[in-house]
Amino acid sequence: MENLLEIRNLKVIFVQGNSVISAVDGVDLDIGKDEVVVLAGESGSGKTITALSITKVLPKSAKIVSGSANFNGRDLLQLGEESLLNFRGKEIAYIFQEPTSFLNPVYSIGNQIIEAIMLHQNKSKKQAREEALDLLNLVKMAQPQRVLLDYPHQLSGGMNQRAFMAMALACKPHLLIADEPTTSLDVTIEAEILRLLTDLKRKLGFSLLFITHNLSIAKRIADRVYVMYKGKIVEEAGREQIFNSPQHFHTKELISAYEKIGRI
Amino acid sequence: MNKSLLVGILIIAIFSIIAIFAQAISPYDPSQIDASKLLMPPSKGHLLGTDSLGRDLLSRMIYGARISLTIGLIAVGIATIIGLILGSLSGFYGGFMDTLIMRFVDIMLCFPTFFLILAVVAILEPSIFNIMIIIGLTSWMGPARLIRSEILSLKEREFIQAERAIGASNFRIISFHLIPNAIGPVLVNATLGIAGAILLESGLSFLGLGVQPPTPSWGNILIESKSTLGVAWWITLFPGLAILVTILGFNFMSEGLKKILG
Repeated sequence: MENLLEIRNLKVIFVQGNSVISAVDGVDLDIGKDEVVVLAGESGSGKTITALSITKVLPKSAKIVSGSANFNGRDLLQLGEESLLNFRGKEIAYIFQEPTSFLNPVYSIGNQIIEAIMLHQNKSKKQAREEALDLLNLVKMAQPQRVLLDYPHQLSGGMNQRAFMAMALACKPHLLIADEPTTSLDVTIEAEILRLLTDLKRKLGFSLLFITHNLSIAKRIADRVYVMYKGKIVEEAGREQIFNSPQHFHTKELISAYEKIGRI
Repeated sequence: MNKSLLVGILIIAIFSIIAIFAQAISPYDPSQIDASKLLMPPSKGHLLGTDSLGRDLLSRMIYGARISLTIGLIAVGIATIIGLILGSLSGFYGGFMDTLIMRFVDIMLCFPTFFLILAVVAILEPSIFNIMIIIGLTSWMGPARLIRSEILSLKEREFIQAERAIGASNFRIISFHLIPNAIGPVLVNATLGIAGAILLESGLSFLGLGVQPPTPSWGNILIESKSTLGVAWWITLFPGLAILVTILGFNFMSEGLKKILG
């Protein structure tokens, strides 16, 4: 399979005053075209920082020390801020953990989706508004007409996550990075969102990098699984293989963690 | 809508209407001198009496409202715009830019504003236009600091990260996402600032370095009343009252806004 994204030897550190903390320590990661890759690991293992490094939307205290991220043959880590704006949202889009706090409280859902559309496409406001409605229908939002005018605080977490997905998909990205998008939602909504994601992937044909600490999700959607521990990739395998014969102790921990919960 | 906001808006609305329709409302020409009616106490013909040149006090105060309110609004407008620009740049970019702007703010704050304005007005001529600009240019430091602190906390919020992730430029993030979220406290501060600017203009006019006669402003009506205070109390009382009530109105409004906007 041809690779859409190839990350090689990525190293990210946090600088705070005089102390330097290594967050990502030499990560190699491939995402194929049309592939679902799950990046799993405990909190603080560097999964999110790895994902944010791809388009350099890191917090200010984080620094990329070395590495490359080849996306369609271009190394994103060598690009300046100006050229990266053409990738963010257009080629590579993100959805995040807490949908409600990732939406701007002073704008309606409609206006935020319209902004996402108009940032990268030459469309009139009227066209964008119609497209926003289509997008809300695409993510199976209930009462899309009304939601266009609603503000984030008026919607539930699940609805906000759908709205945010509509925003992320506004420019038909080739790679969608989902950073624990279901962690803050309850299990029934989680199942719905996961089903929606796989449906959308089939319809629109993007690659998906799914970040989670919950390997049961990987069992449902993944083609391939990476396990991250203390800033390093400790195991990489296909779905079947990782559940049938986990090698690293952290993978075993993650598997037994959800199996234990399953038994309760 | 809370009470203090309502009262504030009411007071300011009344004064604004008076200022806008000054020409239609005022019973006399504000600079028309009538030698036969010097220092007349309030009566039917002249509701608030006349001054030492026989000019109708009510008409002069109505035109004065126009001058005082315009100066307040425009001066604060200038101060708030400068504050918004410098404060958001400083808060958003941090580092050297932040140090540069904030130290400049510190330097500006070292000068006692009133005497700085006095010095500048003494060099330039004290026209209404100059006074508005000078008050504006010497009172942007408060808004700048306020906006900086708002931006500092807002820029760490998740939705700003989300904006970066969908490819919004820094300019876009500052002007369409950070500033609209920070506007509440800025508005409260600006309302209070208008009151301050009106008071400052009155003070300047009182010292003869503000609006120049015969153009009436509340401040320069007050100074003209000084010499006749013993015989004509009304020339001192009414402009003073007008200043007091207007400032009270703006204070009420800012108090009310603060409650609403948190």
